Amino acid sequence: MSNPFTTNRKIFAAYASMWFLIFLSHVAIIMIVQDIKFYAALVDSFFFNFLYLIIGIGIWYTVRFNNLESYTPLKIFLDHIVSAVITAVIWVAASEFIVSKILSQENFYLEFLNQSLIWRFLIGILYYIALVSINYVIIYYNNFQEKVLKEVELKGLVKEAELNALKYQINPHFIFNSLNSISSLTISNPQRAQEMTIKLSSFLRSTLVKNDNQKSRLIDELNNAMLYMDIEKIRFADKFEFVEEIKPECKEVEVPNMILQPLFENAVKHGVYESLEKVIIKLSCSIEKEYFKIIVENNFDPESVPKRGAGIGIKNIQNRMKLIYNQDNLVVVDKTNSTFKITIYIPMS
Amino acid sequence: MKKIRTLIIDDEQLGRDLIKAYIAKHEGYEVLAECNNGFDGIKQINEMKPDLIFLDIQMPKLTGFEMLELIDSPPVIIFTTAYDQYALKAFDVNATDYLLKPFSEDRFNDSLVKAEKLLSNKAVSLSKFQDILKTAEASREALERVVVKNQQKITLVPVEEIKYIEAQDDYTMLYAEKGNFLKQKTMKYFEESLNSKDFVRIHRSYIVRLALIKQIELLEKESYQIILHDGKKLPVSKTGYSKLKDLF
Repeated sequence: MSNPFTTNRKIFAAYASMWFLIFLSHVAIIMIVQDIKFYAALVDSFFFNFLYLIIGIGIWYTVRFNNLESYTPLKIFLDHIVSAVITAVIWVAASEFIVSKILSQENFYLEFLNQSLIWRFLIGILYYIALVSINYVIIYYNNFQEKVLKEVELKGLVKEAELNALKYQINPHFIFNSLNSISSLTISNPQRAQEMTIKLSSFLRSTLVKNDNQKSRLIDELNNAMLYMDIEKIRFADKFEFVEEIKPECKEVEVPNMILQPLFENAVKHGVYESLEKVIIKLSCSIEKEYFKIIVENNFDPESVPKRGAGIGIKNIQNRMKLIYNQDNLVVVDKTNSTFKITIYIPMS
Repeated sequence: MKKIRTLIIDDEQLGRDLIKAYIAKHEGYEVLAECNNGFDGIKQINEMKPDLIFLDIQMPKLTGFEMLELIDSPPVIIFTTAYDQYALKAFDVNATDYLLKPFSEDRFNDSLVKAEKLLSNKAVSLSKFQDILKTAEASREALERVVVKNQQKITLVPVEEIKYIEAQDDYTMLYAEKGNFLKQKTMKYFEESLNSKDFVRIHRSYIVRLALIKQIELLEKESYQIILHDGKKLPVSKTGYSKLKDLF
């Protein structure tokens, strides 16, 4: 955030008007109470107040670098005391220097000036306190507005993620191709056709059910994702193999919903669909100190030229992981020229 | 009567099986071979010169559309696909036919009738093929890779690897990271298909990747050339120069 007194016209106008009022009162008070001549009062008030107007703009920076969140109240308090004293001393000294030069003939006034220096110093401290308070209020207000904005943005992001998830769940290409496989099987192998119809239905049902639970056990997740894998296995019988290495203790770990299937789908899409050779898709997991690690690896044809728009599924998972755990880098992609490995780190709390 | 020689190109066994099962009921057809990818498809088409092909679009290696660019003697084509994008709508008029998976036997038989009609007139079927090729090009979102054939070897050149393109009569020479490739396409084709953010046509005979231009040099009055980062120099025409001036 930049200095509002220099960047925000409204604030600057209010600030300048405030000083103008102080300027007028200052003139009136020393004329009436101290019997100072109008001309001398005008010069005195103008220089003292104008100088503070300028110094006051700089007070912003002492506030900016003493924000309430980062430092202890004691440090902030001490910093401001030091800063207030320095400000007031500089202000009084500079103003006195200028004014006494201009009004060097006005002996009555000069005597008054000398006597009032200590009071002026105290007023300088007072001004400092007032300006610091105003600055803190401005910062607080700004932070508040930023927070509101951020919340709106976050809500938008969540909506978008939900929408993406929805779009993602319904992959017409996959569905129509599967239906075509079923259509073919009804002629050659009706029993397998029936089997595949049931698998496809179960898979579709699982994506349609709105699961309010954000998380499920890994084993449930796997069973669900295997419906998908079984269907692809029927479509591309000898083109891929699925290897699963899950230790029993991993099966009960809670993971975000619908996290495995997109990983598998990604591997099938970029590995199996694009390759002539057999593709091996491997799932493994391990429990580590702070994280539960899920790894999906596959080989792919190094000569296949990747098409654009790849990795929407991965991006979706990245977004979701970030939303759920409020942490970056939980999804790590490791790609060599013939293998693709994705690691998901699930924080264990 | 001579049988209609047919080729089935689809990456899924079950997809091919279905077509085979449907076509087996028609006596006038002979299935020459099945292919499960674009490379094999091209090889078989150019070797066997079938009358009719059933062609899936999304396949490993080469897509059905990319294959079309490499066919020597074009057969009649029936697309079979679950491809769900609007792109396919364009073929309504032009293609022989396309079958959206899953399709019924009746729908399949209809497409055979259409194909037979086309097969009886060589000239019409040839112009249809040209139409298909054009539509396939036009419906592609952005060129991502270029398929080239050098003798019998097919290479996929990713667009990211193309440095510049030079006109050579009816062909164009692609200068890429892994070598130079001759492609039977016009400069106009590349000018339209390549992303104008990445490539600029600097001359009647040259299209160059913007990021590779190191400097523009004045040769003599009103005559310029560019120097690429690898030191290669290419001529710049007047219109090319004004385009470059706008870009830099």
